[in-house]
Amino acid sequence: MQTPENPGQAEALRRAILLADPKLSRFDPLPRIICFDDFDQGFCGWTQLMGNYENDLDCVLPSYAQHTQPMLSALSTWDFGGHGAFDGTYALKIATKPKVGSRNVGIKRLTFRKRGPIRVEFYFTFKPEANELRLSETDVRSIGFGYDLQVGDGDGDAWRIMPHLRFLNAENGEHVQKWQYKPKTTEFKSLGTENKTVTHDHLAPEGWVDLPGGHQRLCYNEIPTKVNWHYVCFDFDLATMKATGFRCNDRVFDVSTFESIRIPAMRNLWCMLNLFFFAETDTEKRAFFYIDSVCLSGEF
Amino acid sequence: MLRESQSAVVVRNEVWRGRLAIEPYEAGWAQEAIIFVTALKAAVGAAGTAHVEISPDGMRWAREGTSFALPTAMDGVTFARVGHFGNWLRLAIEMPEGSELTALATIHTKA
Repeated sequence: MQTPENPGQAEALRRAILLADPKLSRFDPLPRIICFDDFDQGFCGWTQLMGNYENDLDCVLPSYAQHTQPMLSALSTWDFGGHGAFDGTYALKIATKPKVGSRNVGIKRLTFRKRGPIRVEFYFTFKPEANELRLSETDVRSIGFGYDLQVGDGDGDAWRIMPHLRFLNAENGEHVQKWQYKPKTTEFKSLGTENKTVTHDHLAPEGWVDLPGGHQRLCYNEIPTKVNWHYVCFDFDLATMKATGFRCNDRVFDVSTFESIRIPAMRNLWCMLNLFFFAETDTEKRAFFYIDSVCLSGEF
Repeated sequence: MLRESQSAVVVRNEVWRGRLAIEPYEAGWAQEAIIFVTALKAAVGAAGTAHVEISPDGMRWAREGTSFALPTAMDGVTFARVGHFGNWLRLAIEMPEGSELTALATIHTKA
């Protein structure tokens, strides 16, 4: 990449172009946009998280076997019709099954070109299925996101790193409303007989840790069908494999104690850059996690 | 602009017995769908029946009018073509007494 003669001027021009673009103006991307997924344009490479298996689907862990495909939703409601997305009509929808603790995950699978800063920004909202005439604000257990990363095959270190963040909305009927991170996964289990495939449940309900100062009362509109959209920005440095910033709407959170899941590198995942979203329900009701758009950017 | 299309695996390696319905699938962007059911193992007993259902809200369902016999042989595939379905699709399943099917159900939609 050529160095501009006047970096300040180039940055001012880049910023002016971003601000004048109605699609990108509400994002603050780093210099290189890796992907900008506006779900009015389709699925944009987002799919379901399939659990690992070898020779037999029965060996998929039950927590993964329950996963299904994300949908494109117009947020249609039974009582006032189509809600639509932040802009346009469609948002990516991740829906759980109607079973306490059920979870679903949407994922996009990439690799990275350079170990440097990356930033993910997205606009989201969540609601349970509106099958009761009550607010139902404690039916969605959590919504969250994370990366699944591994260093390059020529790097000196050899780690797979999985930063996770979730908004724990409710637990056992209590409206908790706080951000949490996850420093540990479950034990690895070998699948099949070829010694090629293992599995672990990095999204298991155990092991979440409160982010210091991480309580946040998100806007949750006053009947079970109205939604408001929220903004998240999460900064991570692939060079140090550490979180460097996290904000949601008007709140900036301290990530100095944030820890990622850290496990030895696996033999086939070099330079992996996976981004995922997930939802969990706290009741016998489907939880719906909607993402209007995602911007993943990097400094390279 | 190419037409958007999607292949969604909505049921994978689940054993169907008795009467049930698969999870709702929202696809108001699509004009047409084909719903396939694949038998991942040989069915036990007689063939079941799938009924296509549509819904105004993803919660209350009505029969669309299309029904098809489920496969019985391992890797057997049966399907229904559906158009003009609105926003929501699902299958209601009826398996005869004592029958079961290990199913893969996929919905293939196109704008």
